[in-house]
Amino acid sequence: MPKISKKSAVKFNVISHLAVIAGLAVLPFIIENPYYLGITNLILIYTILCMGLNLILGYTGLLSLGHAAFYGLGGYATAILMTRYGFSFLPALIISGLLALIFGMLLGVPTRKVRGDYFCLLTIAFGEIFRLVAQAWIPFTGGAMGIVGIPIPRIFSWTIRSETDFYYLGLILVVFTYLSLVLLTASRFGRAFVAIREDELAASVMGINTPAYKILAFSIGSFYAGLAGSYLAVYQTTITPSSFRLDESCLMIIMVIVGGMGSLLAPISGVIIMTLATEAFRSLADYRMLIIGVIMVTVLLFRPQGLFGTAAFKD
Amino acid sequence: MLKVEGIHTQYGRIKVLSDVSFEINPGEIVALIGTNGAGKSTFLKTISGLVRPTLGRITFMDQEIQGVAPEKIVLAGIAHVPEGRHVFARQTVLTNLQIGAFIRKDVDEIQKDIERYFKIFPILGERRNQLAGTLSGGEQQMLAIARGLMARPKLLLLDEPSMGLAPFLVNEIFRIIGQLHDQGIAIVLVEQNVKKALKITRRAYVMELGKILYHGDSKELIADDRVRKSYLGET
Repeated sequence: MPKISKKSAVKFNVISHLAVIAGLAVLPFIIENPYYLGITNLILIYTILCMGLNLILGYTGLLSLGHAAFYGLGGYATAILMTRYGFSFLPALIISGLLALIFGMLLGVPTRKVRGDYFCLLTIAFGEIFRLVAQAWIPFTGGAMGIVGIPIPRIFSWTIRSETDFYYLGLILVVFTYLSLVLLTASRFGRAFVAIREDELAASVMGINTPAYKILAFSIGSFYAGLAGSYLAVYQTTITPSSFRLDESCLMIIMVIVGGMGSLLAPISGVIIMTLATEAFRSLADYRMLIIGVIMVTVLLFRPQGLFGTAAFKD
Repeated sequence: MLKVEGIHTQYGRIKVLSDVSFEINPGEIVALIGTNGAGKSTFLKTISGLVRPTLGRITFMDQEIQGVAPEKIVLAGIAHVPEGRHVFARQTVLTNLQIGAFIRKDVDEIQKDIERYFKIFPILGERRNQLAGTLSGGEQQMLAIARGLMARPKLLLLDEPSMGLAPFLVNEIFRIIGQLHDQGIAIVLVEQNVKKALKITRRAYVMELGKILYHGDSKELIADDRVRKSYLGET
């Protein structure tokens, strides 16, 4: 068998990645219908969210039901910075991500003492507190009505207005998320995250500072949620607390589990299936969640590790 | 090398260790024996930083290490191979060893060490790309030991390495422990296989209800009536 040199393997990898990105770049010319393009943009948002959540849940094994709150933090930060303080989009985007990162770090600190199910309860509480504050702090967040009239974003000379423009903005964020996670998970950090998920005690005695790495995974995963929220704010031009309920966190978890945990791209399949299912069954209103539940149970019956995952749900 | 002076350890209100003192010299192998629940595992965990002592002092190579975080203790040169193996089940044998070298950055040397342990444990070399969870109990134990050694420790804490293994594998594990001792690594060996543990060591400690009952020459302990009755099942 001819030996493939490392260099050519890397080259091949770069070429295949570029080919996929090029394919995605011409997608708006194939999907011209703005409604379908809108759904595609939704898929991009959830891809960013779920890739971040996958770092927390799939790689490090921390069950977080508060991901929507970090998403919301990013959304509100961008909305407030752009409507009240005249920030342009790019700085608002970066600050939104960093704000989610900082809150992720703060919420990650209790992982030192609070583990497993109790940590999960803590994240639910954080999510609910965030939503209630957003609802009640009317002068700052606009209460239940939220913040409206978020200006059209502009990056240098690029005005992002149409569905196609937003598609490219979303694509850039997805590519950024993916590439940064490739680097992170391939580093010793990635190895530490996986070791913690597999066996925390063993990870500790291998010399891995488990509390620090858990906080790191949690805050970096939250950072991406902040970016996604910022995108949502300028995409919708309004932001309301109802976008960041517990259901939303649950949906993201379902997407990650159905797609598969512990591999970077696997959750995307879950995102696509669940977003399409949500749209297709929109007319069924409340019964929609029932169908989503059935899809999840069916997938997990046949593939406990998710469609393309490597790590099964905590056993 | 390692000196433990009067440590007390408790989980919440339950006292597990009281006034335990222990000593091991460089390159020495010392056994710690005792019945289930005597506190042997807690003792090792206290040394490796997984549990904090409430009282007492632990010195390792002139450094006080009681209550220090586990990762710093690994850096200081103590590796703990925990009871029940704790391999990273869904990772390959190779990845397990690489994680074992987490504190090291000398990539070439790490690779050399991996090859070395594949020679000492040939079965691990054969299964280098197999998931650790699919290995047999004995193979997992060898992996756990090799993984601990990847940190290049000066002192190795082995917790029940022969537990649950078939007799011929127990012999194999003890042969390897002897080999590691010959290479100059100091080893604290916690074992329920008292006979074998006393044979491989020169000195031993007997722990009962969280206290060191007596310690001394392993040969004398084998001959001791109390030890024969309590641990060797002889009358």
